[in-house]
Formats: sequence, C-alpha cells, structure tokens
Amino acid sequence: MRILFAILLLAAVLRFWAIGSNPPSLTWDETAWGYNAYSLGTDARDEFGRFLPLDYIESFGDFKPPMYAYLDILPVKIFGLNEFGVRFPSAFFGVLTVILTYFLVREVFSNSKLKNQYALVSSLFLAISPWHIMLSRAAFEANVASFFIVSGVLFFLLGVRSNARFLTVSLISFVLSMYTFNTARIVSPILILILGILFRRELFILKKQLIIATIIAFVLFLPLFRFLTTPQASLRFKEVNIFSDISYIELSNRQIENDNGAFFSKVLHNRRAIFTVEFLKHYFDNLSPNFLFGKGDGNPKFSIQEVGHLYLWDFPFLVMGTLLIFKRKEGSWKILPLWLVIGIIPAATARETPHALRIEAVLPTFQVLIAYGFVNFIDNFKTKKSLILRASYVFLFINFLYFVHSLFIHYPKEFSGEWQYGYKESVKFVRSVATNYSQINITDQLGRPYIYYLFYTKEDPRTFRKEAKVSRDVFGFVTVENYKKFNFVKDPNIVAGINVLNINLPNKVPVGARVLKTFYLLNGKEALVAYTI
Amino acid sequence: MRIKIFLFIVFILASILRLIKIDSVPISPDWDEVSLGYNAYSIMQTGKDEYGKFLPVVLKSYDDYKPALYSYLAIPAISMLGLNVQAVRIPSAFFGVLAVLGTFLLVRELFKKDSLALVASFLLSVSPWHIQFSRIAFESNVGLTFNIFAALFFLKGLKNPIFLIASAILMALNLYVYQSEKVFTPLLAVCLVLIFRKELFSLPKKLLVLSVIFGILISFPMVHYLITNKNSLERAKGVSIFSGEYPIGEAKKALTDLNNNDKLGLVFDNRRVFYAKEIISGYLSHFDLNWLFIRGDIARHHAPNMGLLYIFEIPFLLIGIYLLFTGDFKKAKYLIFLWFLIAPIPASITSGVPHAIRTLNFLPTFQIFTALGLIYVFSRIKRYHYHQAPIFIIAIFGLFNFFYYLDQYFVQQNIFNAKEWQYGYSKIIQPEIFEKYKKIIVSNEGHMDQSYMFFLFYLRYPPEDYQKQSEFASGGFRENHKFDKYEFRPIVWEKEIKSESILYIGRPDDFGQDAKLLKSINYPGGGEAMRIVQ
Repeated sequence: MRILFAILLLAAVLRFWAIGSNPPSLTWDETAWGYNAYSLGTDARDEFGRFLPLDYIESFGDFKPPMYAYLDILPVKIFGLNEFGVRFPSAFFGVLTVILTYFLVREVFSNSKLKNQYALVSSLFLAISPWHIMLSRAAFEANVASFFIVSGVLFFLLGVRSNARFLTVSLISFVLSMYTFNTARIVSPILILILGILFRRELFILKKQLIIATIIAFVLFLPLFRFLTTPQASLRFKEVNIFSDISYIELSNRQIENDNGAFFSKVLHNRRAIFTVEFLKHYFDNLSPNFLFGKGDGNPKFSIQEVGHLYLWDFPFLVMGTLLIFKRKEGSWKILPLWLVIGIIPAATARETPHALRIEAVLPTFQVLIAYGFVNFIDNFKTKKSLILRASYVFLFINFLYFVHSLFIHYPKEFSGEWQYGYKESVKFVRSVATNYSQINITDQLGRPYIYYLFYTKEDPRTFRKEAKVSRDVFGFVTVENYKKFNFVKDPNIVAGINVLNINLPNKVPVGARVLKTFYLLNGKEALVAYTI
Repeated sequence: MRIKIFLFIVFILASILRLIKIDSVPISPDWDEVSLGYNAYSIMQTGKDEYGKFLPVVLKSYDDYKPALYSYLAIPAISMLGLNVQAVRIPSAFFGVLAVLGTFLLVRELFKKDSLALVASFLLSVSPWHIQFSRIAFESNVGLTFNIFAALFFLKGLKNPIFLIASAILMALNLYVYQSEKVFTPLLAVCLVLIFRKELFSLPKKLLVLSVIFGILISFPMVHYLITNKNSLERAKGVSIFSGEYPIGEAKKALTDLNNNDKLGLVFDNRRVFYAKEIISGYLSHFDLNWLFIRGDIARHHAPNMGLLYIFEIPFLLIGIYLLFTGDFKKAKYLIFLWFLIAPIPASITSGVPHAIRTLNFLPTFQIFTALGLIYVFSRIKRYHYHQAPIFIIAIFGLFNFFYYLDQYFVQQNIFNAKEWQYGYSKIIQPEIFEKYKKIIVSNEGHMDQSYMFFLFYLRYPPEDYQKQSEFASGGFRENHKFDKYEFRPIVWEKEIKSESILYIGRPDDFGQDAKLLKSINYPGGGEAMRIVQ
C-alpha cells in the first residue's frame, strides 16, 4: 500500500506540477471548456444560452460532448477562471486512472501469484507514461473518457465476481464516457459487448441485476441517443472519415482502365477491398514504431516530439509481455488484447492518423502489457541484484529523466505557438487600455479570438449573449463576429483612426502604423501586434 | 516422392514468376542496373571496369563503390545474350530461384519437417518482396541467397565438416556482393557459432581451422581494399545518418542548457544521444506494419499500391511468431529469431529507413513464421467436420491477394512507375539518327542524372575506347561526362550554340520555344519523359 501511495504521489506531481504554465497557454478548445464551465456555473446555461445541455455544447460548432464542462464547474469556482482551473479535471482524473489501473490489473490477473507485482508496475508505468502525462496536463476530454472506460471495465469485473451491484456502476461509467468524448461512443459499446460475451456465464446467473443495470444505463443514455440520431452528430464524422474520400475511387477507375476494363480487374479493384486496405493502413498507422517509440504524434500538443508515446525502453517488454500474456493465459487476460484492438478502431476510420488523442481509450493496456513483460523478466532472475536487471532499471530511469527534462525545460519554449501563445498577453493588454478606444479590431487569423476575450476578461455570459453578433455557416461552424466594442475580423486594417485599436499578425501591420505593443512567443518569434493607424 | 513433386512445382512457379517478361517488367533498367551491366561488359571484354581498373573488387560506378561480384556473375549471361536488359537481370532471377530451393533445404535441415519447408519455400516463391528484387539486377538479392546457403552449409557442416568450408567460402564471398552483407553476414556467422558452439567445437579442429583460413583468404582482398582505400567508405558515409545535418533545434536546446548551467541537459541534448535515438528509431521503423503490408517504401522497391508482404499473411505471421516463441523448437528458434532481429541492423545506421533492399535479409524469416502459422491453423481446422469452408475462405483471400499482386506488378507498375524506373532511354537512343550529327548533347539533370551510363549501355559502346576517355572522369552526382561525340551536361537553352549538326536530348523543359522537335518520348501513363531536338 505504501508503494501504491508513492506511485500516486509521483503521478500527481507529474500531472499537476506547473500545469498553469506548461503547456504554456490554453488552446481555444481548453479556453472554451473553461468559459462554458464558468457560464454553466453562473446561470446554468452554456455560453450561447442553452439551459443545462446534456446532448452537446455547441462551442465553435464542433458539438462538444458536454461532460468536461460540467466536471469543470467546481474547479473554476474554486480556483478561478484560469489555466489551472480549466486543466484541473483532466489532471485529477488522470491521477485517478493511475489508481484504478492498479485495482483493475489485480482484478484481471486475480488468480496469479504475481498479481500484486503486475498491478503495481502497471500503475507505475501509467504514472510515468509520456502519453498519459501529456494528455493529463491539458484539458483533453479524452483523458477523462479514458478514466470512465477504465472504471467501467474494473467495475464490470468486480460486478461479475464479488458484488453484482457494481454492474450498475460499470454501465453508468461506460455511459458517462460516451458523454465525454466522441471515440468513446464507439469504443464503449463494443467493449461492453465483448465483456458480455467473455463473461456470459457469470452474467447469466446475475440476470436480475444485469437487467436493472441495463435499464438505469439506458435511461441515462437517452438524451445522448436522441442527439446521435440528428444530422449534426454525423457532420463531424463525415468530415474526417476516410470513406468519403473520392480519390480512392478515382484510383480504382484508373487501374481498371489500365487493365482495359477486364472483368477480373473490376473484381480486384472493387471499392470494398480498397476501403478495407485503407482502413488497415490507418489502423496500422496507430501502431507504427515511430508513433509509439520515436517521435509520437506529429501534433506537438500530444507529444513533445523527442519521445514517443511509449519509452524506447518499453519496446522489448511490450513484445515479450504480449507474447507471454497469450502463453500464460492468466485470469481474464483476454480482455487486454481485445481492448487494445478495439480502442484503435474509431481512430482508424479518420484521415488524420496516427492520433494519440483518439486512441487514448486503449490506455492502460499498453502499460499493462509492458508491465507483464517486465515483471516476468524480473521473475526470471534468481537474484534481484543481477547486473542486467540493474542496467534495465537505470536505462528506464534515463528514459524517464530524458522525457521529463525535455518536457519541462525545452517543450514550452519550443512549441508555445502550437498552444496559441500570445492571446492571453494581448487580451490583458487590451483590457488595460480598452477604455481609451471606441473600437477594437482583432484578427481572427490565429483562430477563435473571441473565446480568449471572454475568458481573460471574465465577461459575464449574460452580457455576452445579449451583445454578441454570432453567425453560423452551412457546416454548422459558429463565428462570433463581435460583442461590445470588440470586432473579430479577417483584416483589422479596415478602419483608421486614433481611437481604433488593432490587434493583428506581425506581417499584416501596415507601414506607418503606430505600434503600441508586440506580443512574443516563448521562442522569441512575434505572435501578435497592437497598433493604431 | 510427393514432396519432390511439390517442390518441383514450387521451382517451376518460382522460375516463371522470376523470368517471365523479365526484359520489360519493370519497364526500364534503373541506373544501377545499367552500371552493373556495362561494367560486366567492360570486364568481360577488357578485364577492366569503366574507369580502367583491372579486375576490380569494388566498382567505383557513380562514386558509390559497389561491391563488384554481381558484375562478374553477369558475365556468362552477357556473353551468351549480349549486352541487354535481359542478360543483366537474369543472374538475379537465377539466384532468386536458388533462394527458394535454399529455403526449402534450410528449413528442412532446421525443423526436420518437409511440410514446413515446402510451405516456406512456396511462400518465398510468390513473395512480392522477393520477386521485386529477383527480377532486377540488384546485388542484394544475390547476397540473400548466399546467406541462405551459407547457413545451410553451416548446419550440414555440423555433420559433415567439409560443408563448413563451403559455408566459410560463401560468407567471405558475400562481402563482395552487397554493402549490407558486410554487416549482416559476419553477424550471422557469430550467431551461428554461438548457437551451435557445442556441436561445432566437438568437430575435428583441423577442418575448423581450414574453414577459417579459407574465409580469411577469400575476404582478404576486400578487407585490404577497405583498409587501403579511403574512398571505399565514401558510400557508407554518404548514406549514413551521421551525414545528415545536426538539426538546428537540437543545437538550440544545448545552448539553452548551457545558459541555464544545466549539466543534465548538456548530457541529454548532445549529438551522441541524438544519433543513438536515430539509430534505434531506424531499427524499429522496420517493424512498421504499414511498411510491410501496405505502403512499402520508395516506388522501385515494391509493386504499386501494396507493401512487401501479402495482407492475408498477417494473422498467420503473428501466430507463427507466437508458436516459434513459445514452442519447443530448440536451436531453430534461436537461429530464426536472431536472423530476424539482426536483419535490420545494416539499414538502421543509414538514412532513408525503412529500406526494403538493405533489409532484404529479413527473408525468408517472414515466410518461415507465416508457414508455421498456416500449417498450425490448417491442422486445427482439419479437426472439425466442416473444415472445407474455412479453408476455402482462406484460399480465396490468398488468391485474391496473389492476383491483385500480379496485376499491380505486371500491369500497373509499368504505367504508374515508369518515371521512377527511368524510362525513356531505350526509345530515345537511336544510333541511326545520331549518325547524322557531329555532336550530341544530353542533359544530366533531374530524372536524367547519370544519363551517360544509359548511353554506354544501349549503344554498347566499346569499353576499350571508353576507358581511354574516362580516366579522369568522376562518377559523382551530377558530374559532367563526355565520350566520342556525346556530351552529358546541363542544357541551358539560351546559351546553347544552335547548329544543324548538333543534336540535343533532354527533359521537356530543358528547351525553349525555338527548338525543333524531332522526337518525343512519353511515359505509358501519360506525361512526357524526354525529347530530341535540333
């Protein structure tokens, strides 16, 4: 228990330490979570005034699953509308996932003599996982969804083994995960189905409790279900999925043409085969060594680009653990590889792969497999003081230290631009001088500036709703054009005048402008400029 | 007897797949193929390579210093068929077929199971990866065959030590075949010795010593060459990861650490750590399922729209790895896994990973794993009453993959990848037209880099005459060349002397509006490759 507590402490430090300033600033999605939580906490309505939305939060027109905003109400009330308050739920549930992992692994390998070791090492590996740390340190709803999924699986196992009431907890957890993140809407149902099949005998005995649990979960699921059947819900999916990409059909036609339209060619190059291969391609992307062990996701928000989502050190143990888990067949081992395989499915239908966020639902299966390999590796040695063993500890420690060093020393400086750095500083400046100007024109070229103005001026959502001019395009995307004297425009240089303040990109500042202040990224590059014409 | 018939069928299948249309698929030889071919022609006629080096151990070629053995192996075919594409490629096809037979013998020797040996060799005979490099003059394919037989003879040698000498000779010869083998083959030798050390050292010492002596004697000229020639390592340097520039971002990090007086940071953010990470990442990149099954790497290394292995093999491959890992296969297990693990080492210190040629030695381990998986699954299915249906489904998938591959390789490849295969020279080199001109100027830019070698090859220019003119030539990238009335250099149309007696051959955009077009060559899939103007 003392070790588990130490792991917990380590996990908490790695997730909470300096989250206000590293990642260096809030992305627009994070800012939107915070402001919606603030708005819900003010008058129980989201930023655009929907009363206690259960199905979605419209936000920028991306129809965010609402859970994160609700979970963030209290932190924002307690810590204020700031970076820490916004990121608190993700970090908090990240730490909880580390603890749940311990109990989950004990339960999965409940009949193994090494179950305690498996459990401790798994939760340790999740605690120091670059993947999990990165996603716990910013307001990523996927990270909270992962918590609910782990909780769902854990309570399912407890439900069929010790206390049937836990089945209800399990199903509620799964449903909550679907209120939290889009991919969970596919992963969770499949996982429930798989668990149901694996434990069909146990469930058959617990018929009554199972029915009650199902009814409760279903009622809870209803508001979401109604939304999922609307066209808005499928809009985002259509936009990003591979099956709507016509270039494959063009390629297929070209190939049939090359075969002079032969019948065999039409069979070979039919679109079902092509899409199967495309699906596999995107699926395998998420297992590519470069993604897992090399540089990680190409998006620096999810990876520091110096270390993969797993450590290099993990590689041999991952391979060994995977092979051994099939060989030993301990406890309910089957759930782990199945979970991993399922967790990648939704992400593999999207064009952007690999994607660390969309496959976060596979955590902590990787860590458990690595731990399984590692614990059995240690177990092979008669003496625990073997040189090879010590060398492996040292190498792991170096891997870990390298990651932490890179993350805390170089990462914020190098990638502040990716985190929309500069908005906060510019808003603070604007706020301090706003009374001197009758009109303030702000470029929208860095994306969604309005939310930063709401957030950092702590604008009352009621005032915002009253004064804002909002437009929605055919794809459902929401643009806030102005509120009060703030105008969010493509080109702020339209109006000249000493009482008009412009906030613009550095390369768009006209000659002769009176520059009041320049806002820099942490690597010294210019992000925004405040000036008058 | 049945095994012999099946093996014969596999042999025929392997031969057909490797020989049919070998002169026209791939559509054109690439620059390395013509270089190996012309150097073989040159050695055959004069005993010297294109630069006049007598019986070279290494061909300077395009300053990439290719090990020379392939050119020697091509001499018999060229002397019979003349200097043409077919003759240059046939040695590779021959060794490809040998590799299929070698795989049968090796697997039988290791696992003592005819069925496994047969399935593995069958899978190699239809392997897209192996066919790709068996149908073109790439040295790597010969290297693989040498490795298979070296391992086979080593195992045979444990019973009949005479074979050990053959094994040592093959391993030593392999240093003359391909760069990767200089790393892989010694590693393979070390693995074999380690795994079979007990059996090996119980053999008569005399023969062991004799094999070692043979090995040293044969490898001596190469080792001597490597030590005495500074240039020989040029190629290795050129493609190694160390030749790339150290990224500026990394240097900036070290500077930050220096300013912070961060000792730990200075340890982490330095070149050694950076290159170590690059090497490990390079090694791991070869375990990318996309590379193996779907994407492949550059166009010349795989059939279009597919990878190096068949997709239907995935489950059997995974099952096979699991079975070999967990099963009781004694030493076969260690040999196959070590072979599998050392195969990507030579490529991992180079840039441009993953790389299907530099890791060709992965074969035939993938086929052995897959064969293990296939046989296991079939034996499990057979226990069921209705076993025909699943077997039928697997067969359908396999056949679909196979025919898809045949279409991609034999039809689509020539259309989609003609440019990558440097298509155009066979059509544009027309001595009848050239006769009328005093001077012929050929571009050597872009996709016409090293065009001089294609001209030597297709004109069958007498090596004796060329050697006299090539003495001071360099084979480097974009180097200008000149022989006879041919000149190979960038064409700058505005500055060219336009005369009736000068013929220009170049890329479509090398010429201005006023050029008189005599002939233009198009790629089969559309787009202009080259043109002749006056």
